[in-house]
Amino acid sequence: MGNLYHNKTAQWLAYAAFFAVLAIVPMRIDDDFLLNQLATYGVYGMLALSISLCWGFGGILNLGQGIAFGLGAYGMAMTMQMQTQTESNPIPPLMLNNGLDYLPMLWWPFANTGLGIVCAIAVPTLFCAIFGTIMFRARVSGPFFAIMTLAMLSAFYTIILDRQAYTGGVNGITPPSPLQFAGVEVDPYSPLAYWTVFFALMIATVLAKLITQSSFGLVTQAIRDDAERVRFLGYSVAGYETMIYTIAGLIAAVAGCLWVMLVQYVSPAQLDVGFSLSMVIWAAIGGRLSLVGAIVGAFVIQGAQSYLGDTFLSTWLLILGGFFIVIVRFLPNGLASLLEAALGLFATRKPKSSAESNGAEPVPAE
Amino acid sequence: MAGLLEIHNLSKSFDTIKVIDDFSLEVVEGTLCCLVGPNGAGKTTTMDLITGRIKPSSGKVVFAGQDITAQPEHVIARAGIGRKFQVPAVLRDLTVRQNLTVAFSRQTNPFWNLFRFRSPGLERKLDEIATLAGLTDRLGERAGILSHGETQWLEIGMVLMQEPRLMLMDEPIAGMTESEIEKTAAIFKELRKTTTLIVVEHDMGFVREIADVVTVMHMGSLLAQGTIQDIEADPRVRDVYLGEQEAA
Repeated sequence: MGNLYHNKTAQWLAYAAFFAVLAIVPMRIDDDFLLNQLATYGVYGMLALSISLCWGFGGILNLGQGIAFGLGAYGMAMTMQMQTQTESNPIPPLMLNNGLDYLPMLWWPFANTGLGIVCAIAVPTLFCAIFGTIMFRARVSGPFFAIMTLAMLSAFYTIILDRQAYTGGVNGITPPSPLQFAGVEVDPYSPLAYWTVFFALMIATVLAKLITQSSFGLVTQAIRDDAERVRFLGYSVAGYETMIYTIAGLIAAVAGCLWVMLVQYVSPAQLDVGFSLSMVIWAAIGGRLSLVGAIVGAFVIQGAQSYLGDTFLSTWLLILGGFFIVIVRFLPNGLASLLEAALGLFATRKPKSSAESNGAEPVPAE
Repeated sequence: MAGLLEIHNLSKSFDTIKVIDDFSLEVVEGTLCCLVGPNGAGKTTTMDLITGRIKPSSGKVVFAGQDITAQPEHVIARAGIGRKFQVPAVLRDLTVRQNLTVAFSRQTNPFWNLFRFRSPGLERKLDEIATLAGLTDRLGERAGILSHGETQWLEIGMVLMQEPRLMLMDEPIAGMTESEIEKTAAIFKELRKTTTLIVVEHDMGFVREIADVVTVMHMGSLLAQGTIQDIEADPRVRDVYLGEQEAA
């Protein structure tokens, strides 16, 4: 028997156990504030998942995931803001305060809740598809692509900060009441909000896992290994890279929507470079080659930040930085590789030439 | 009869240096053509030009009646040209099985491949190729740990998985032991029954054994073409290539 860590059935069972634990949480907790906080960790988990998919499996380091997250968050905030506007009071205060006495065209789709949420998800996804196509067709890759995403992120940050009458500038948008969806009010501090995030995270994880096991996932991993070789096998490398980058963007956009649902607030800080870098750090610490590992990385780091951050104040960043260095130096594949090594101890070395199972893959496929 | 691959007056310059100079070649379907010549003659550059890795300065490449000059690499590969690189290029982090599976590229569309978890006909083809390349016992291993000879065979196997009509093999026996070379020669003799091959090779013993036609390149141009006997008897070839080798 090979290492259990690489057994596909065992992986799915581990995923089931992971989500079973997350499902028990709301039954055990009656602190509304804590439940809301845990739900936001779920959103961060989705972001780490998207980085793991794009960077861990696709080999595309994306330092600008905040673009998709931020645009999704703004779309949702605009939708929720428009829900509180009435016939007699159709213009959001942030425009009136900035001398704009009509609703700009940019905001029109968000007056309709369904259309608004669709736009909040579709616009960032479309952006990723277009930006990805332009970059990957030109064979921009590796650190050069990372720098381009960083530059793009800064551009969006600046535009949003600058167009105060449309975006609320540095103050952002603070919708006064919770999201109303299909006649239901989604109170951010209710179990309903937690369950919404839970199911979104679970569906995203299962789909991401299926993607990595599909023919597409195999080709993507081959491209990470040697893009040039794969091109000569007849695959359009740019097409695959654009696809994985766009799927990751879609997950981040959904995460952005859910985040605003939970905190009823958005500002340019969501497109801050530091925040996008933390997403990469979550995935790196948890294990970018493991989808669940990356999610756990987000939980651990954000959880630690919430509790230790208050105790250590700015020293916290030093602790985080030190921890990051230790991980990169000694566990380049993150905390998940600890589990891999531990399970490896129990694996019996299979005799050569014995029939091997399809599930046993020495490649990091978890 | 028109050739499967026709190269017409191909030229390529890097800055002011002409690497390929008015080179023409016709490869008839079902033959094995060996491309030989001293270092720097432009053999690998010719392969790069055929497979679209670099674009020619002038001239054209026609494959199966279709102009493929300066098409993107993946389009040319899909048209039916498979290539083995001079420095063996396999996917080192993936298993041997995964390498061969990726190479089985009947469906290349990224969108449809999202919904595909197995390819029809893959298992049979994979068994057949793994047996031919002698890699049946190594399918579960990471390609990065294979020996040099096994890596060469894996890459040849990958090209075969592509089911190409034309195979370009750049120095397939470099670094192989005597017995490995014999085995490779046997594989090639088997292959030329069903496909067309262009093999770049320095080892004249190997060329003598497998070639139907030998094409000699020198300074980016065609120097001579014919059977191995013609070539070995040609005084010009002796001067630039064979003589040089014997002297060495």
